[in-house]
Amino acid sequence: MSSQLDDVIASERRERSTGDVFLVWNRRLHYFLGLYLLFFCWLFVFTGLLLNHSRWQFAQYWPNRAQITTEHEFQVPEAAPDIERARDLMRQFGIAGEIQWPAPQPAGAALAFQVNRPGQVIEVKADLASGRATLQRNDLNAWGIMQALHTFTGVRAADTRNARDWTLTSVWALSMDAVAAGLIVMVFSSYIMWYRLKAKRRGGIVALLLGCISCGAFVAGLRWLI
Amino acid sequence: MRRLYLITRDLHLYCGLFLSPFVLVFSVSVFYLVHGFAQRPAPGASDTSRTVVILGLPPDIVRLQGRARVDALRPVLEQLDVQGEVDFVRHVASEHRLIVPVRLPGHDTIVSVDYDNRTATVTSRHQSLGDALVYLHKMPGPHNVDVRGNSRIIGLWRVLADATVYLLLFITLSGIYLWTALRAERRIGLVLILAGAVTFWGLVYVIAA
Repeated sequence: MSSQLDDVIASERRERSTGDVFLVWNRRLHYFLGLYLLFFCWLFVFTGLLLNHSRWQFAQYWPNRAQITTEHEFQVPEAAPDIERARDLMRQFGIAGEIQWPAPQPAGAALAFQVNRPGQVIEVKADLASGRATLQRNDLNAWGIMQALHTFTGVRAADTRNARDWTLTSVWALSMDAVAAGLIVMVFSSYIMWYRLKAKRRGGIVALLLGCISCGAFVAGLRWLI
Repeated sequence: MRRLYLITRDLHLYCGLFLSPFVLVFSVSVFYLVHGFAQRPAPGASDTSRTVVILGLPPDIVRLQGRARVDALRPVLEQLDVQGEVDFVRHVASEHRLIVPVRLPGHDTIVSVDYDNRTATVTSRHQSLGDALVYLHKMPGPHNVDVRGNSRIIGLWRVLADATVYLLLFITLSGIYLWTALRAERRIGLVLILAGAVTFWGLVYVIAA
């Protein structure tokens, strides 16, 4: 009998301690993630505001860009897919970034593409017949760099011509994923912490419901109304 | 001091709970945006379509531009029972038509107005939940600033998106304040802030420098 009771107590202790450890680490995870992702959050939050208020004069960057156009001679790349030719030319011109292709060009036209990185847009127009290229380089200010970082993914839905082709774009895309995943984890860890606070449950339910109703109305509610 | 701590903690909790669905919308949509998942087929021939006679089409609709043209089209859209944000208006002069894409989160409508015959063809399509999230993430956004926010829906969403930003700034600052009160966690917290700063500035430096 005594042995059975000991087993029950030991089992309860184990459960309680496992639960406690989970709660402690859930709380820690909440603020560890919050502190680690702080600068990323500030960047995306602040630039989100700027993108939604593109008329704000202080954050204008495109009219204030520095533009330089230069002419270059180059060794004509061997016959290869356009992406390989573009990479060869970029190597020759000493530029790096994400390649963006414009709309398909007619046959025989100059090889034209953009090389983008936050803060810099270079338009390359290379005449493969003469071996001469024009590079138009646009250098953006700090506001331009910040806003470009918000949207710098290298891909767009339904744009089959452009794919992510620069390693650093992939790294940045990965960090965007990590920030998003971190925020999702923080939201759910906050639900657990709040639920443990019995005195705050009622107020919390009201706040959460208000958020769910106002946000849910836009996400799902509108499609039911139509 | 203790009172300030308690008030901050409560505000952090309640603001965070209110904000959490918005944070989830913006965070989940990031995966769609970063990986180009949200393919949005435009309404096509296979979608539900109807042709309606328009009453009261403004006579100068072709000459109007930008927001003025969108505002002039609003009564027409109401007559057609089409709700949502006008994306833009494209004038196809050769066909005497105005093409007006109207969007709601998860629902696209294309209204083709034949201003000579005073008829409109309305084609609509439901989009995926992912598309709705992406649309909300991008709205109002930096494009077509002149016409953006032409519907009450996006006008209201603009307010909520701004509120999300300001509340998130408050949440981060109040979170830092609450963390400083946890003496036992100060050292590890400082290490994490420093690690986050090094990662962030390091990445920004190599990508943008």
